[in-house]
Amino acid sequence: MSTDVIEGGRVAQPEDPVDPTEPGGRARLASVWAELRRVSGRSTGVIAGLVILCIYLAITEPIFATWGNITNVVAGNSVILVLAIGATFVILSGGIDLSTAAAGAAAGMVFGLLLEHGAGGLLAVLGTLAFGLLLGFVNGFLISYIKIPFLVVTLGTLSVFESFGLVVNGGKTINTFSLGGFSAVYKFTLNDVAGIPYLLIFDVILVVVAALVLRFTSLGRSIYAIGSNSEAARLNGINVARTTLLVYVIAGLCAGIGALVQVGRLTGASPNIDSTLLLTVIAAVLIGGTAYTGGEGGVGGTVLGVLFLGIIQNGLTLSDVSTFWRGTVNGVVLIVAVALGVARDRGWLRLPGGLRRG
Amino acid sequence: MAEDARREQTPLISVVGAVRRYPGVTALRGVDLEIAPGEIVALTGENGSGKSTLSKLIGGVEQPDEGTILVDGHETVIPNPAAARDLGIVMISQELTLAPSLTVAENIMMGRLPRRRGAVNWSAARRQARAVLDELGVHVCVDTVVRELSVELQQEVEIARAISSRARLLILDEATSSLSEAATERLLELVREQARRGVAILMISHRMPELYSTAQRATVLRDGALVGSVPLPSTPEPELVRMMVGRDLGDYYGSREVEIGEPVLTVADLVSADGELAPTSFEVRAGEVVGIAGLVGSGKAQLAMALGGAIPASGEVRVRGRAVHLGAPSKAIEAGIGYVPDDRRRAALLPVRSVADNFSVAWLRRLGKRGVIRTKMERREVRDAIARYGVKTSSPGKRITQLSGGNQQKVILGRTFARGCDVYVLSEPTRGVDVGSKSAIYSMIHDLARAGAAVVVISSELPELIGISDRILVFFRGRVCGELAGAEIDEHRIGELAVSGRIHDSLPGHEQERKLDHVN
Repeated sequence: MSTDVIEGGRVAQPEDPVDPTEPGGRARLASVWAELRRVSGRSTGVIAGLVILCIYLAITEPIFATWGNITNVVAGNSVILVLAIGATFVILSGGIDLSTAAAGAAAGMVFGLLLEHGAGGLLAVLGTLAFGLLLGFVNGFLISYIKIPFLVVTLGTLSVFESFGLVVNGGKTINTFSLGGFSAVYKFTLNDVAGIPYLLIFDVILVVVAALVLRFTSLGRSIYAIGSNSEAARLNGINVARTTLLVYVIAGLCAGIGALVQVGRLTGASPNIDSTLLLTVIAAVLIGGTAYTGGEGGVGGTVLGVLFLGIIQNGLTLSDVSTFWRGTVNGVVLIVAVALGVARDRGWLRLPGGLRRG
Repeated sequence: MAEDARREQTPLISVVGAVRRYPGVTALRGVDLEIAPGEIVALTGENGSGKSTLSKLIGGVEQPDEGTILVDGHETVIPNPAAARDLGIVMISQELTLAPSLTVAENIMMGRLPRRRGAVNWSAARRQARAVLDELGVHVCVDTVVRELSVELQQEVEIARAISSRARLLILDEATSSLSEAATERLLELVREQARRGVAILMISHRMPELYSTAQRATVLRDGALVGSVPLPSTPEPELVRMMVGRDLGDYYGSREVEIGEPVLTVADLVSADGELAPTSFEVRAGEVVGIAGLVGSGKAQLAMALGGAIPASGEVRVRGRAVHLGAPSKAIEAGIGYVPDDRRRAALLPVRSVADNFSVAWLRRLGKRGVIRTKMERREVRDAIARYGVKTSSPGKRITQLSGGNQQKVILGRTFARGCDVYVLSEPTRGVDVGSKSAIYSMIHDLARAGAAVVVISSELPELIGISDRILVFFRGRVCGELAGAEIDEHRIGELAVSGRIHDSLPGHEQERKLDHVN
């Protein structure tokens, strides 16, 4: 089938628009600016919140703006960020993955056991990543090919993965500190180059890769299309089942990566899951402006969401507020952020010029 | 008579100098409108001309920034839809507002269920609902759960509910756009009956025949301003269209001289898995536009979906002699079939995405190079398509839902046309589209045929089908019951075939019918 069957033979009609993207420096700049506003539109709230929060903390807590504290925030939120990147893919496609924290814990136990059985660093790392992929594949296969609703599947696997983590080592934590092959992972999570933590560099690379995949690949475009209207995506020839499978596999891979970071930082693999982790991960994605209904948002927003929640935690710690408040703060921020998004989408918020959605 | 009535009586509702501004656009710039009791006024204009904004002001959904609304000659503020209902203003739109899991009786009596000693008196409720339906001649059991009714019957129940709530002004906003011809006629008869009883009617519709058969006056808006108010049916259609679009459309459906070539699409014994489409065979040649007519439920919708791979089907479909793998949209696309579904919202739009994304979603395979999108090529092609298909948008990055229905449809059609297919299957290509865009879409369809494509158009609007088709296949109970070409094509014959499956005098349609009976 040729690509150019239609001739431009139609007589121009009065309604034909003036080409808005006519080349020309100023017009081009204006269109770039409009695009920037459109992209940042969904994150306007979180950016504003983040700036206010940082200014406040910088003034009230002298330690806040130190490099040491900043690297501390980065390190402390890397696991959340990695899982949240996976969750962003899933939520963009119109689904949700409740099993991600449990998958991370299970993969962490696999990493610990591989090290314990002398698999060596490289093999243990690859094995853990492969295990994460496998867990994601299970989720994705049940959802896309067996067509079980994603809430049911991931709620089920949440329980199964958690239980798996407990079963494999009788519920005991594995101390990995002295195990052969662990030191590389440990150093990676701890050390820095010229003051910049490896972990920060790694996070940046991961975010950039994810953003590029979402924006510039057929896979990324397909994910947005499916999240926006899966029937329309299917009728345009997109393989919805395969794409959905891949989305959950990516989330599984992220759980595997998250497990490595977690074990590396804690120098131990624990089957006990931080009960706030799942909520924090999903909250970060939604606060970052990714629509819970799918099809809209991206990893850029997720980074902001993770930072926002991370800095609030950091602020609470610095101001000596009990960590018991953490859940309350996260929950309230999540609801307020999504409510603001809903208000904006319905046009209840009439922001002045530059802030209005383009 | 209506003219006289209008002069003598106080208008039931009059809108004076209504202005409504949205950020960046003025939707209404000083519009006047008057409707007398018993009068049927058509509100017309292209999409984006301000029709729905005006009806929202009357329905209390939005408030005018300037201007006033008078009810029975008294200045009235209608703060919300509930207040409008208290004033007897009832709105019926194409979107149904029935509760699907409740029965017909419950829906009709909702909010005013008769009570006895605190409990609902169900037998009275059913009796009253029955009376409402009988009065309107709607034949449906009051105990049926609404979900189980056809869309058309649901629409009739909706209207019964609206009318029975003692409406004084009925606003019909594209209420017929999802109905078949027969159901539309019944609805319009209900509307006329209400008008005879003194209810004022404001109807918004793109369908010219129903405006001419029902309304007494047409008020035309263009770009938010009042163009004029003219009597119907005495104002000729071209005149009305010119008022709407501000220019002469010339030959509305477009004329063409096309060389009909070799068969491109051959369909043999195509059956849909749900059985709605019985074994069907036909062929479409290069340069030919074949129209598919039939009532809702005649199988014409399943034919389109089966050809597009949207539903499971069996039989044989060939494009230029090569067999098409059925039941998968991606296979239909590979085979060179461009399918555009009838339900834009449900099956075509990516609602939260931009105009550009809505174009390129259909081109991912072509734009991709080893899985990576060539964005430069994408930008160029989107820009070209916006210009070529006359999509009115301020920027390719604009959200598709901010465009008018006509422009959304141009995007949906354009992305498929730009793929350069051998066969096009277009289901209701002008549904919910304004007059100007319709004419543009007809000319696009002619361009496809001229370029040698085989085009199948499924439409429930007969004038459109007759205007653009070289040949028309009429469906009845899942199969082709007649085929009309050239001079045989007329509305009457199509209507008769669609309703009864045959034509009562001896016409070529018979031959086809016998042949098919033989197959069974």
